[in-house]
Amino acid sequence: MVLVVGMVWSSILGVLTAIGSASGFAASFPLIVPIFGSMAAVGALTVFTSDRTKGVLEYLMAYGVSPRRLFANFLMAALAAISIVLVGAIGVSVGIYLAGGHTVSMSLLLLLVGYAIPMSYVSGAFATTVGMYWSALSSPREGIGSTIGLAPLFGVLPPVATLVLIGVFGATAGITTDEFLLVTGSALALIGVVVLYLLANLGHLLRRERLLSNS
Amino acid sequence: MASSSAVTGEREASPGVSPISCRSVCAGYLGTEVLKDITFEITAPSVYVVLGPNGAGKTTLFRTLAGILVPSGGKVVIGGTEGDDQSARDRMHYLSHLDGLPEGLTVREALDFYARAQQATVTDIERVLDQLGLRDLSHRYPGQLSAGQRKRVSIARIFLQEREIYLLDEPTANLDPKVAKEIRALILELSHDKIVLYSSHNLYEAREIGRHVIVIKEGRLAVFDRIENLRASKFRLGVRLVNPPDSLDGWTKEGEYLVRELAGPQEVQGVLHELDVRGVRIREAREMDNPLEDIFD
Repeated sequence: MVLVVGMVWSSILGVLTAIGSASGFAASFPLIVPIFGSMAAVGALTVFTSDRTKGVLEYLMAYGVSPRRLFANFLMAALAAISIVLVGAIGVSVGIYLAGGHTVSMSLLLLLVGYAIPMSYVSGAFATTVGMYWSALSSPREGIGSTIGLAPLFGVLPPVATLVLIGVFGATAGITTDEFLLVTGSALALIGVVVLYLLANLGHLLRRERLLSNS
Repeated sequence: MASSSAVTGEREASPGVSPISCRSVCAGYLGTEVLKDITFEITAPSVYVVLGPNGAGKTTLFRTLAGILVPSGGKVVIGGTEGDDQSARDRMHYLSHLDGLPEGLTVREALDFYARAQQATVTDIERVLDQLGLRDLSHRYPGQLSAGQRKRVSIARIFLQEREIYLLDEPTANLDPKVAKEIRALILELSHDKIVLYSSHNLYEAREIGRHVIVIKEGRLAVFDRIENLRASKFRLGVRLVNPPDSLDGWTKEGEYLVRELAGPQEVQGVLHELDVRGVRIREAREMDNPLEDIFD
């Protein structure tokens, strides 16, 4: 369901920008892709939270699945979900953009390959990993204050922070392509390191009993 | 009865069964110790009923034996290897008090999911669907099942593959009496050559299925003994008569029963003979109290 919603909304927004001006599409579409890409990770997080509450994680641990492997499997599921949303959203939107007689400019290609796609994966991985920690450390609740309610905010945080950083650079001295790639690459690397650190140190940072249901 | 000293299942160890050894085990949650210095050894196939008041530590004991919780002190040894070793886990089936049914999967898909985790086969799934009467429910989602049906599906996973040790935390909770009886029969069948640890709040069920009893009180091992060795503090015989009189000398009326306190079960035969001699026709005779009730006092 989350996948369908993510694909439909990102495609609608993509199509709306694609049928507008070419410069508008090239400038705005790559920026909205990571938001929907990372939101696709909510699906994996929803399953994680549900499995924890219903005792599925407890059974898997009894069969010998380690918490780290559980986290890694949910992360892989989230990345797979992000791939589906990306393929759908970029395929439909760019397809309509091309059908409108436009061509893919170098800057659009750069924004898609250098920012939108990697940022979607990294921010989705960040949202999923931090979300699983959050879910394990908190009592399952419903509503906006719950893990699922907050997960999109975790996912939006990295791209927004990166864009703000780029905006600050751009506003003061303008930004070259190399600088853009440097800032984006650094942001991706930093977020990637945080995700890897959280996964590698799971045994120290999160006690096994945190994955058991409270009920 | 035994306190926290080492105690052992009384039957001979079975060569085909991995013994369970709990050695001064302490375990709990987030630094709070729930199990305190638990020591026992189980070497023989049988049903070991784990009893204790709410919060005594029964579920914590099961989770620790299953390797889900890591002991903060002492160790669990299963068949010679530490409890968190994969080879130890592969000898055990664990049934939680939670259903553990993944949302969004049908009954068949859920069984397939757990079959993969256990390296069981599609044939095993088909067998279990029939064995547990789940075939008609196989395409339903957890949300479309009653609490009892969900429990049956949950139990089904432990029959996907034979293992040497079964850790069953309240397996018959939420089941209707007929299904509960069928499940108990399946578990009793297992216990001929497997070790079954079985927790229950139902003392009559515990007495029916259990051969040994393990009592946990405030996180400590209070009793480990054969059930027949447990004696109630008093023995009360109740009789239901064909033509009940208003009163009977030496007996008090409790509902449909006339009740008399005896020194012990050895007196039952004599008392019933005495009634027979007096011409009293007996429809039913039973022990009024369950000796396991004393455990909770």
